[in-house]
Amino acid sequence: MQNDTDTRLRRLRGPVQPKRHNARTIAALTSNPGCARRGVCDAAGVDKDALAARVGFPVRAGQSQFAITRGNAFEAQVKADGCAELLTLLREVLNLEITEVGYTNLDEVGGNDSQDLRHAHSRATLLAAAAGRDDAGTLFDHPLLRMEVAGNGVYLEPDLIAFQYAGIFHVIEIKSFAVIDGQADGGKVASAAIQSAVYVHALRRLLGSDDAVSSDIVLVCPKDFSNKPCATKVDVRKQLIVLKHQLNRLAGIDTLLDALPPAVSLNLAKDDADRPVRTPAELVEALGCIPARYSPECLASCELAFFCRDEAAGETAVLGKSVREELGGVDTVAAALGLAAGSLLPSDEQAEITALLRATARIYGESATTAATSVGSAPLLAQAAA
Amino acid sequence: MLECGTVSRVTTEAAEALERRIDELRTAVRQAVSAGDAERARVLRAELRRAENEWDQALEDIAEQQAEKATPVRPTAPLLPLREQVHQALVLLGAPAAPKLIIAVHEAFQVGEMVPARLTSLRRDEERSFRSAPNSRPCYLCPALTYDLLAPARGLLAVSTWPMERRIVGPLSPRVDFLTSAIRLAEHVERLPNPSPAAIRLLWRFAANIPDAAAGPDGTSPSGVLRAAKAELEIHADADRSHREAAAKRAKKQLDNVSQLFGSQLREVGAAAQ
Repeated sequence: MQNDTDTRLRRLRGPVQPKRHNARTIAALTSNPGCARRGVCDAAGVDKDALAARVGFPVRAGQSQFAITRGNAFEAQVKADGCAELLTLLREVLNLEITEVGYTNLDEVGGNDSQDLRHAHSRATLLAAAAGRDDAGTLFDHPLLRMEVAGNGVYLEPDLIAFQYAGIFHVIEIKSFAVIDGQADGGKVASAAIQSAVYVHALRRLLGSDDAVSSDIVLVCPKDFSNKPCATKVDVRKQLIVLKHQLNRLAGIDTLLDALPPAVSLNLAKDDADRPVRTPAELVEALGCIPARYSPECLASCELAFFCRDEAAGETAVLGKSVREELGGVDTVAAALGLAAGSLLPSDEQAEITALLRATARIYGESATTAATSVGSAPLLAQAAA
Repeated sequence: MLECGTVSRVTTEAAEALERRIDELRTAVRQAVSAGDAERARVLRAELRRAENEWDQALEDIAEQQAEKATPVRPTAPLLPLREQVHQALVLLGAPAAPKLIIAVHEAFQVGEMVPARLTSLRRDEERSFRSAPNSRPCYLCPALTYDLLAPARGLLAVSTWPMERRIVGPLSPRVDFLTSAIRLAEHVERLPNPSPAAIRLLWRFAANIPDAAAGPDGTSPSGVLRAAKAELEIHADADRSHREAAAKRAKKQLDNVSQLFGSQLREVGAAAQ
């Protein structure tokens, strides 16, 4: 069965190397679990970036070089002098005992930084720590974890893992966005939480026990407008559930594949003359066979988002998840306007939402008329209404 | 500086005098032309051109002097070569240290600038020098060694004359070295009659991350840092020493002369990692 799935995914991808996942891409999987297009592309390891460019919607984004440099500098500062600043924070946040200062750098193994070797070394060190050896250490810098995603091995590198003698590991994530007056950017915290959840999941798999790794991660960020770090515990239980669901779904990709015509192919390979095997039109047609579930949030996390947005133009989904949910059963903006204006007759299922739409249209119409009659504010309101 | 300022004032005055002269000459040229005295006008015009050229020259001189003034006065060039400066900082700290800390220590207690980029190539140069003529220098700057694989520890510099135990980094060593450095630094600051603000700042950087060492940046005293660092060091010292001594014994037995200083250079470390 597994072989059959593999063959189907390989056929879908064509004769090119599957794209490898990392913590960011795995985290992005969870942002829109209902999207079959994303699920199929990720399971097959399709290079979505290249695919988007081929069908005429190249993604211009990517992490800025300045952001990367700033992030690295802050991480280096927190870890300087034997993690001095971090130890102070952890003693406050995790009540780390004063004897707990062991530090193991897993960045390289004897001057060698091959991934397989580092993973083996990280694994051996972390398992030894879990087994409770005396010289186990407390802080593990840049361990290399490994996780299976849709049958492909993925290497993951958390910033740091702290180990408490109560036998609990904590994932520590160092991010360079500021926490101002106890408040940080919600979106950034959410993405840090989901990334950390990926690490927690991978570490739990490595240790073979869910209890060994805390679901509270420690987020270290600059405080206010200074460079001074502060640490906060973040509960990632919810993110873990979503992540597990999505990973299981990738494993059970068969049901999604069954719904597709057998000839669908997103092959991005080139022939001997360096010409792409499939034309953009063919690729667009193939993508059209795989249902997408576009929402504006996709723009932040999916390479195909611009393509899907274009495809979904005129649908209620483009207006956001809440609008789509409110207007369940009414798929397009035109249909919603038609129902509201009374030019379309609602089916039985649409009766309730039609009543709501008409009421809204009436209130809106009345307020627009009132606004138009009151001199002075009329142009402003008309503009807002437009 | 005074001389430079005097020269500048003189040049400005000369330029002003020339401007007045140019104005007078222009008036004289106009009057000569109006009076129909062509010969006098020609002579005056030649004089005007000369004055204008001189004025241009004076402007250039002023610009040059301004540019000279704008470049900051460089601090006195350090008298010692880079490796000696690094050596001094390491001796002060008394434990393996990262380049960033070495630079901070240098800036707190010495004059002159230390360029980070040059520190990175230093270790390679030292190794090359040792390999071509072993032990020809009284001491070498070498990497600290990891306790498990006896490989060079990333980004930590040490001094070759230190005993092997001190150059080894075990799991507890980063903290122990941090506390040791804090103690040495506090002792050094205590000895100084007037410690510089940079030195106090450096001491606070250590004190901030040692429990009960100081109440705040202003309340940092060397004695407080000494007491707190010694108290914490006592907790870790024994365990750390046993790690280091065991590794040092192994290193002396297994490694040749070069590797004892610069770490095991084996690339095949798979067996050891398992």
